[in-house]
Amino acid sequence: MSSRRSRISEEEINELISKLQSLLPETRRRGAGRASSAKLLQETCNYIRSLRREVDDLSDRLSALMETMDNNSAEAEIVRSLLRS
Amino acid sequence: MQATKSFEQAFLKQMLLGIQLSAVSHTTGSLQERKSAIKLSADVAMAVARGSKKWTRGLIASLSKEEQNRSFLQFVLGKEFERPAKICHSSWKIPRSKNIVRRSLRFLSKRQSNIRAPNSSVLAGTLVEKRTQVLKRLVPGGESMDAFSLLDETLDYATCLQAQVDVMQKLMTTLEASKHSRRADSDAQCPKEKFHLLAMVGSWYSTRKGLRKRLSKRPKLTL
Repeated sequence: MSSRRSRISEEEINELISKLQSLLPETRRRGAGRASSAKLLQETCNYIRSLRREVDDLSDRLSALMETMDNNSAEAEIVRSLLRS
Repeated sequence: MQATKSFEQAFLKQMLLGIQLSAVSHTTGSLQERKSAIKLSADVAMAVARGSKKWTRGLIASLSKEEQNRSFLQFVLGKEFERPAKICHSSWKIPRSKNIVRRSLRFLSKRQSNIRAPNSSVLAGTLVEKRTQVLKRLVPGGESMDAFSLLDETLDYATCLQAQVDVMQKLMTTLEASKHSRRADSDAQCPKEKFHLLAMVGSWYSTRKGLRKRLSKRPKLTL
């Protein structure tokens, strides 16, 4: 590793990788230590894709739901949930 | 970045703003238009709530490529949108980590694969590169990122996506619940409470300097 050019240590990379690993939903099953990085990348990609699909699906459902509500009550409900939290 | 409660609140607030600006709750327009408006509100809200990151800038940039999104983005982002986006020329930077990270990733996968077939480490290198390319396309603005930034931004982006999903799910539940209770007793909301709520919303708007002027005109956006 050329220390001349890099200001990032392997430690920092390891930290990033392990954080990414713990973010993924599948990692709990893994008993045999760290997965290969190729596997990690694949699971990360799959995870991001599934999250985006969920957002898409939720947008569908929200728009259908809001259609059946009148303007003010939908918005008021959002405001109320903001005040609650 | 740990998805904090303040991020979720900021996101919800921004989304409310977006929904109101795009007048999505009004019954005009097709279901598809309404869905796109909600999705746009959600994505912009996520980017705004997170602040300045490479992926948030990348997201806004890709959203603004579509004509129908521009007026909405202009409204929400105001001056920030008009200013030419600072393009990240990664070629200007010293390619500090690309090779190092690639080597480290290969090194890490080698450690793993040594337990089984030592030859697979060679394959692992190319596979890692292929999948890195896929990831670059998934993360907004990823194409121009070096490998280390990509990992860092991916972590941040995925965390925010999780929060986005969580908040939208909670919103669904809340709206569904209120709908049911509404059917139960039609007089659910007393006018006094309504004014109080709208006043709260009003005070948020007045803290955004750019919006005060625009909201006084309140044109309906067609998305």
